[in-house]
Amino acid sequence: MSDKKNPKKGSDNTTRNLAVGMILFVVLIGVIFSVVSNKSNSHVAIPTSVSAADGYGIVINKDAKTRVDIWEDFQCPHCREFEVVAGNYLNDLVRSGKVKAVYHPMTFIGPESILAAAAAACTADDGKFLDMHAALFNNQPATENSGKWTNMTLNLVAIGAGDTSKSISNCITSGKYLNWTKNVEADAAKQNVNSTPTLFINGKQLVQSHYLDLTALKADFAAAGVK
Amino acid sequence: MKNLKVLTPWITLAARLLLGTVLLLAGYLKAKSPAEAQMAVRAYKLLPVGLANIFGLALPWFEIGAGILLIVGITVRYAAIFGGLSMLLFIGAISQAWARGLTIDCGCFGGGGQVAAGHTKYWQEILRDSGLALTAIFLIMKPQGKFALERTSAE
Repeated sequence: MSDKKNPKKGSDNTTRNLAVGMILFVVLIGVIFSVVSNKSNSHVAIPTSVSAADGYGIVINKDAKTRVDIWEDFQCPHCREFEVVAGNYLNDLVRSGKVKAVYHPMTFIGPESILAAAAAACTADDGKFLDMHAALFNNQPATENSGKWTNMTLNLVAIGAGDTSKSISNCITSGKYLNWTKNVEADAAKQNVNSTPTLFINGKQLVQSHYLDLTALKADFAAAGVK
Repeated sequence: MKNLKVLTPWITLAARLLLGTVLLLAGYLKAKSPAEAQMAVRAYKLLPVGLANIFGLALPWFEIGAGILLIVGITVRYAAIFGGLSMLLFIGAISQAWARGLTIDCGCFGGGGQVAAGHTKYWQEILRDSGLALTAIFLIMKPQGKFALERTSAE
């Protein structure tokens, strides 16, 4: 480099440092934003059957001895397959009060999972969660985040599932439980849930091959004392 | 020889755009779905859960930063060192998952987590990351290229 260029080099360095600083700043803000916005927030509205102690999951039969935790995303195709195979059996167990069921509707697949989970939470307040759960999988769009699930269409699914309460439309369209879904997701992260569906029976994770094998699943519940 | 000297800055430009675009895209897709990115890191079963969750949130933003630096051409060598080291890290992480018989998606461009056995793409992922690691090594050696904002860097 010639001497002539030296002063220019100095000013270029300043500009360079400024640009690098700006990019580092954006990176830092991004990291902070991501960490803060994915944290659990104890001040958000939660359904009546939900508590922080149960990982913000929707609880049915809170006093039953055997506990099953179910992590699903309403848009997840494997969860739909699981529902087809085991949905009726599980619903019977829950409806007959034989198990304490804790449903954790995860939302990592995207915006329509969030809408669906929040709508399902609204029906939980009306005691219609199991019906809504079945109806959502029955209604699952063929492609993820296709635009099929909106507050309006989900409201219709809820009504179709038998939720005739006066408050259901307002609960869904006002997005009452949208922020609660972040708490569920944050807890799933803590519990190391890395795929859906994931089941825990009395805290023990179900063997991978048992999800689509109803006989094996029934045996697992029998081993946990559920007949 | 002379031809090569003329050509080198253009190869550097192409390498910068390739590595930079891949990093920027990978970072953007993961930053957009943070819960999924966290899940992808956890599925490698390398880090304690709490650390894996923070890593999953932070990594995409560093990829975005390095990607921008490479594309516009500022501190190319440092950004390439970051890119190269990340690729080595990814290759190591994917290899250990493969060796331990985990069945996961690398989650490199969003997605990730467990997949069904037989649906893994380990060797394709390792091959791709090896190519990108070589690109990074070239940039570390020859960071001075065409159309870079910074023209006075070392060389």
